[in-house]
Amino acid sequence: MSVRDEQQLRHQVTLVELVDRVLNKGVVVAGDITLSVADVDLVYVGLRVLLSSVATLEEQRERTLAAAGARS
Amino acid sequence: MSSEGGAARSADVLGWYLYGVVAADASPNFETAGLAVDPAHDVELLAEGPLAGVASRVSLEEFDEAALTERIGDAVWLEQKIRAHEQVLERTLSAVSVVPCRFCTVYRSESELRRFLSERREPLQAALGRVTGRVELGVKAFVDRERFVAGQAPRNEEIRELRERSASLAEGRAYLERRRLEQLVSSEVERLRTTAGNDIHARLLARAGDGMPLTLQAPEVSGREQEMIFHGAYLVGEDERKFEAALGSLAAEYRDAGVEFELTGPWPPYNFVPEELRAS
Repeated sequence: MSVRDEQQLRHQVTLVELVDRVLNKGVVVAGDITLSVADVDLVYVGLRVLLSSVATLEEQRERTLAAAGARS
Repeated sequence: MSSEGGAARSADVLGWYLYGVVAADASPNFETAGLAVDPAHDVELLAEGPLAGVASRVSLEEFDEAALTERIGDAVWLEQKIRAHEQVLERTLSAVSVVPCRFCTVYRSESELRRFLSERREPLQAALGRVTGRVELGVKAFVDRERFVAGQAPRNEEIRELRERSASLAEGRAYLERRRLEQLVSSEVERLRTTAGNDIHARLLARAGDGMPLTLQAPEVSGREQEMIFHGAYLVGEDERKFEAALGSLAAEYRDAGVEFELTGPWPPYNFVPEELRAS
């Protein structure tokens, strides 16, 4: 996995962590306009797309490590 | 100017995006230029009695209910706004205590926002009192199975035997022994999750103003292959160094069991907003 992939992975993980906090915690009773339950679900659908790319990066890393191991 | 252009402009009504609530007398001096969810507008403090809303103007074209549902499908928009929300709160937190609002809390007018601050004054002040001078820290603990097994083997006879047998047996038999070993290790890890989880939480809580265990994260959320065995949030004030020292000794004690710790934050205290302000 390249440095850039590594950064991207970390970047996405922190986003996931962030989403969990900003969507589900904090003051919820405020606002004339707020996210509906359906909206929150949509965010998670979008997030799953993100997560699947995280999983892909993980797999790539494992393959790279395995390849490196085979070479040594 | 065409009449059409004028109509488009007048349709672009502005509302207010509320990030969080601070004490009005705190008069924080924090730099938020260019950080707002709509970078065209600055973050402002709207004082109402003893409280002030950390807010910025947003286009209701962009943030109205119907528009929101559409925007949320746009991953780029979503990430940008979520990060802006968090950055404004983190910048605020670096200067003053804040009660964070959920992402996308929008008012159609300044007077509606002010009405919220005055109507909910009491619970908001109580919430603010609870987090004043404190930040939220996140703690995660993961177990590395291989290191866990290596650490258990000298003490756990059954694990040791299975390990030795699966190494010496022929392939077919070894497979079965390995399966048994895996199952045994799983139940031992399960036990660790309960005992270590309780121990970790109790000892960290003793060094914090408040704390709570959180839902364990799957590897695709935590970004780590190892199994998460503990996840908690803590409200920590001036005793932050003692808290970190407690975490340091936990890490040293559990190292042989293959447990690794991770500290996150400081976060705006999302997890310490009273129930009353969480549910309508």
